[in-house]
Amino acid sequence: MANILITGIAGGLSQRVAAKLLASGHSVVGVDYREVRSPLPPQLDKLKVVRAHYNKTIIEDIFRHQRFDAVMHLGRAFSLKDSVGKRFDLNVVGSQKLMNLVLQHKVASMVVLSTFHIYGAHPSNHIPIAEDEPLRAGLQFPQIADAIQMDNMATTWVYRHPEVKTCVLRATNIVGPTLHNTLTQFLRLRHVPYLLGFNPMMQFLHEDDLADAIITSWQSGLTGVHNVATDEIVPWRTAISLTRARTFPIPAPVADVFLRATGNFPGYLIDFFRYPCVITDRSLRQQIPWTPRHSLEQTLWSAVADARMNQA
Amino acid sequence: MLKRTLDSVTREVPPDLLLKWNEILSRLTSLAQLAKEARHHWIDPTVSAAIDSLPNRVNSQGFDPWGFSPQEAKFYYSLARHVYDYFRPEIFGIENVPAGRVLIVPNHSGQLPFDGIVVAVATLLSAKPPRLVRAMAERWVSTLPFVNEMFARSGVVLGDPINCRNLLEDDQAILVFPEGARGSGKIYQQRYKLVTFGRGFMRLALQSKTPIVPVAVIGAEESIISIHDWRGLAKLLRAPYVPISPLLPLLGPLAYFPLPTKFRVYFGEPMYFDGPFDDEDSVIQRKVDQVQDRVQQLIDEGLLQRRSVFF
Repeated sequence: MANILITGIAGGLSQRVAAKLLASGHSVVGVDYREVRSPLPPQLDKLKVVRAHYNKTIIEDIFRHQRFDAVMHLGRAFSLKDSVGKRFDLNVVGSQKLMNLVLQHKVASMVVLSTFHIYGAHPSNHIPIAEDEPLRAGLQFPQIADAIQMDNMATTWVYRHPEVKTCVLRATNIVGPTLHNTLTQFLRLRHVPYLLGFNPMMQFLHEDDLADAIITSWQSGLTGVHNVATDEIVPWRTAISLTRARTFPIPAPVADVFLRATGNFPGYLIDFFRYPCVITDRSLRQQIPWTPRHSLEQTLWSAVADARMNQA
Repeated sequence: MLKRTLDSVTREVPPDLLLKWNEILSRLTSLAQLAKEARHHWIDPTVSAAIDSLPNRVNSQGFDPWGFSPQEAKFYYSLARHVYDYFRPEIFGIENVPAGRVLIVPNHSGQLPFDGIVVAVATLLSAKPPRLVRAMAERWVSTLPFVNEMFARSGVVLGDPINCRNLLEDDQAILVFPEGARGSGKIYQQRYKLVTFGRGFMRLALQSKTPIVPVAVIGAEESIISIHDWRGLAKLLRAPYVPISPLLPLLGPLAYFPLPTKFRVYFGEPMYFDGPFDDEDSVIQRKVDQVQDRVQQLIDEGLLQRRSVFF
């Protein structure tokens, strides 16, 4: 049985991956720079939690005290409440430190969770986008530079250090019952807006399907960069209606001003409601035995069910 | 995060105003719903039957990856049919469109893409069995509110080699105007003279072994007349061109209303090309020239047969 380190353990996705690994008999250490809400559910009883910044020295101690067979780096900071500098420290400097520790302590494999946001939503995007295509996001939104650099670093690492089985997963929109990412929170609103005159195609991946993809990638010894997505591609407004939310249009310039004024919705996300950024995960599915098990309806409804219950 | 902001906004607003706002919102939504339902009355039964007969390539929600939706396309194609009927087109040689993958390559003219609409409706309603053409659009189109959605639901895709290759491998019919915006923005003095074709379509045809059907559209050149392209304003609007009509001083904006010219559409016999798709530009260019010459020939023949612009 393997000993595995998971970052971002305060988040719903990491906890789900940890629960699955613990259930199959592996031991898991979870790390996060944020506080982990307690008490944890019973399936996480055996989880060891350490609060540590990925770019500080406590994380080195964790590696000194035990041997890991795999590191799953799932804890990318994406909140805009954190300054660009802080996100750079966590995502770029922190990831680099983690990767150096993996090398130093001869960890056999590493899974890094990246995001499809780095492709950018752009009027000249074709459908679908594969892994070897340009990352356009940085062109318009320098705020996303940390995510691009982290992805680049991990991708280069795949080829520079073949002794570590590294795989980088670029996931599409992740939604689910235990997540609190921007899109899931957005879908949980009573009135979900759309941009007037735009209705781009989107994909939604259930957190549980992503957790399975992460674990299966590690078990299959997968290396390289891979998209993780679904085949159920629908327009944004169809997705809203599947969450049974009410919807209303916002003229794009108003949305721009509003978001700039409040500043807590990542500005680069707004184009994802204007232009499509549809990705293909053909390479992943050719190499590992994985397909998403949740239908689009199940995926979207699971994310909002509790919120709708409270709103009723 | 967002929820918190919205909540804090709502807290500061008096509750009765909020209720009113909610009411307005729900009224607007039900109005939009009504409008959507009213669309069904507009759907043309022939268009509907033709779209129903197309091979089903959509997901559980009724969309293909590019956003084509047969249900919504029925409405847009029914509207397009009114445009089609306005120009009273005569269609020649539609039987030349082969089964399976095909690139349909017409001349481009007329300021607005009425030529595209007429070719698309003709292939849907006159071809046996009905074919859905996937028109390749300029990047600019994706940035236009409403238009982008209308186009996507009707099967238009962004003109990009990867989109094109995926659709051809799926044995679909692609409508491409190799003259691009330079063709449709032509001024009246240059009518029926082709602008140099781009080479991209030929590389795709060679790579995916796709036959090319040359097409001539006659009548579009005279429907909206432009005597000058106002480049400065086009740049400002980020549009590919801004036509200036000679009737502008007389009619104002009405000068841009398309005249009821009669369209004649000639589908030529399919052309088959062989050879490496990644060959030198000069080699590809010779093949492109053959297609361009054939389209020009079809135009010239069509013009000779035409007795009147309007009848």
